[in-house]
Amino acid sequence: MQIPIMAHLVLGYPTLPESIRTAELYIAAGCAILELQIPFSHPTADGPVITRACQVAVEEQGITVANCLEAIAGLTSRFPQQEIIVMSYLNRIYTYGADRFREKMERMGIRHLIVPDLPVDSPVAKALHQPGQLQLLPVLAANVSDARLQQLLAAGHDFFYLMSDFKITGSTFSLNPRLKHIAQTIKATQANARVGIGFGISTAEQIHQVLEVADCAIIGSALIRAQEENRLNRYFNELLLETTKST
Amino acid sequence: MISTTSTYRQDILSSTGHFGPYGGTYVPEVLLPGLQDIAAAYDHLKTDPDFLDEFHTALREFDGRPTPLTPLPRLSAEIGGAQIFLKNEGLNHTGAHKINHCIGQAILAKRLGKTRIIAETGAGQHGYATAAVCARFGLDCTVYMGRIDYERQRPNVYWMELLGAKVVPVEDGSQTLNDAVIAAFKDWVEHPESYYLLGSAVGPHPYPAMNTFFQKIVGEETRQQCLDQIGRTPDYVMACVGGGSNAMGMFFEFLDDEQVQLIGVEAGGRGTQPGEHAAKVRQGVKGIFEGYHSYFLQDGDGNIASTHSVSAGLDYCGISPILAHLADEGRVQFATASDETALAAVQRLALAEGIIPALESAHAFAHAFELAANLTPDQVIVVNASGRGEKDLFITMRHFQPESLRKVGELLLKG
Ligand SMILES: Cc1ncc(COP(=O)(O)O)c(C=O)c1O
Repeated sequence: MQIPIMAHLVLGYPTLPESIRTAELYIAAGCAILELQIPFSHPTADGPVITRACQVAVEEQGITVANCLEAIAGLTSRFPQQEIIVMSYLNRIYTYGADRFREKMERMGIRHLIVPDLPVDSPVAKALHQPGQLQLLPVLAANVSDARLQQLLAAGHDFFYLMSDFKITGSTFSLNPRLKHIAQTIKATQANARVGIGFGISTAEQIHQVLEVADCAIIGSALIRAQEENRLNRYFNELLLETTKST
Repeated sequence: MISTTSTYRQDILSSTGHFGPYGGTYVPEVLLPGLQDIAAAYDHLKTDPDFLDEFHTALREFDGRPTPLTPLPRLSAEIGGAQIFLKNEGLNHTGAHKINHCIGQAILAKRLGKTRIIAETGAGQHGYATAAVCARFGLDCTVYMGRIDYERQRPNVYWMELLGAKVVPVEDGSQTLNDAVIAAFKDWVEHPESYYLLGSAVGPHPYPAMNTFFQKIVGEETRQQCLDQIGRTPDYVMACVGGGSNAMGMFFEFLDDEQVQLIGVEAGGRGTQPGEHAAKVRQGVKGIFEGYHSYFLQDGDGNIASTHSVSAGLDYCGISPILAHLADEGRVQFATASDETALAAVQRLALAEGIIPALESAHAFAHAFELAANLTPDQVIVVNASGRGEKDLFITMRHFQPESLRKVGELLLKG
């Protein structure tokens, strides 16, 4: 059974093999989507938990983009049914070569890419967004205008990442009231488009609140925190249990 | 952006944020509406007579412009080469060129109806100027500063706080300017209704062009002063380069004077290994970070490298996309000066001419002294003294009079 959660992790944190084992845990538990973040020295839109994880992966573990691609390829070949989304800050992709990166993604069967510091219609984005193949997920907040939303929908995006509120990752959760309108607008225009909401989600109650508006809840910092406190298994399974209870 | 009929200056003034392949707007979508509002306001205000009048009035009445172009006869004779002149931006209110773009942006922010200002600072000069301008214009002010800079530029922290600003030390990363920029952007994501008063010619559009626009007064005055005082344009114009605001301010008016050579001086730090310097043009590679496409110091796999400079204001990983383009075009040349030569330049300028420059500016002087020795007395070098050196009290004192510093510390502790 698929649970409407997008579980996030930082590749290479605390080590590459451990991050792969964590990915396997999320897959085995039945979470609908796995979000794999390629670590970056300066994750400009992340809160302290993910920033620290990135720093460990980059500075202590020396994780390269090539290491990450290899790890992702391993997961996609072993779990071909699992939906996997890759997340990376732009400079790592730009340095690797955007075209080369896209080709790798397509070869691995990755269909969605999150690049938080890349407006999806900027010049560099063209190399990473090919409707029907690899697509960029717009990461939107409650201040997105209706006109902008229509523009993005017209560009063929079929998955939207909404920030729960004006926050960075790992902040205290709150759900901006305008997100409901944004999600409805997306669905009304493109019935097949999916909507995920993330940033600050850590409890089943918050997941339920988010699922009233969106197709999936995105969980990142809370999982890393649980892992650091050696309670990931228990925390994650309880979260899933309570999420499935009433959905 | 270069076409055969237009000039460098026109291209920068009319740009939509692209300078050759550089520049752009690479930020999270949540920041786009705010940036678009600022870009639209800038586009309108740069030709609005009311705005320009308010800007120039504040530069005169609050900041103290124009600043003088000062000949350095004793030093020039001592070196025995070119005649060196100094544009004394250290005489600006709050002690550096930074206040030029702070005044411009604060007036713009007021016109946008903003009430809260966010800023980053390295040396503390941009933060100090922002705090002063915010107090003057009645704006709430929060300044982010890397923990290391917070400690090494302590006098400026105190001035900012005295002016009512909230100064937040940033504990992330290498705890310098780069980390302060990131913290300021995060604050802006959390408060998109605030105004981010960015302090150099870097970042997403419109900041590189807009700060150049507000800083170009430096070169405009300098060029006219050269014509008045020496009857011609100079042969060389030099400025230190952190992000590039004082350099762009100084160079802009000279960009289309082909006979004037423009030289940007980066921080050579204490060596050429990664992490030992901040020489972006010399040792950086192309990348996209903190909102813009330019040269950045990196590790080869897309991570941003740490930097070092004795001057907090030059201790930064990126460079203005406008300067990156002008470097590629060959219009601006780049050199480096080390920590040691910059410190020596502070001492030399102080003894020979009675002027104590900021450590940042001292990098430009260090290179100017070297170059002047190889030139002839009919040649003229103008150096932008982007700031004055009082803020560096504890750094230069530790270097020149370590014993005095220790005694001052002990005395202060005794109360
Ligand atoms: C006096 C002074 N000069 C130069 C700089 C470097 O900045 P920029 O390259 O933007 O002029 C600073 C930055 O703090 C400064 O305080």
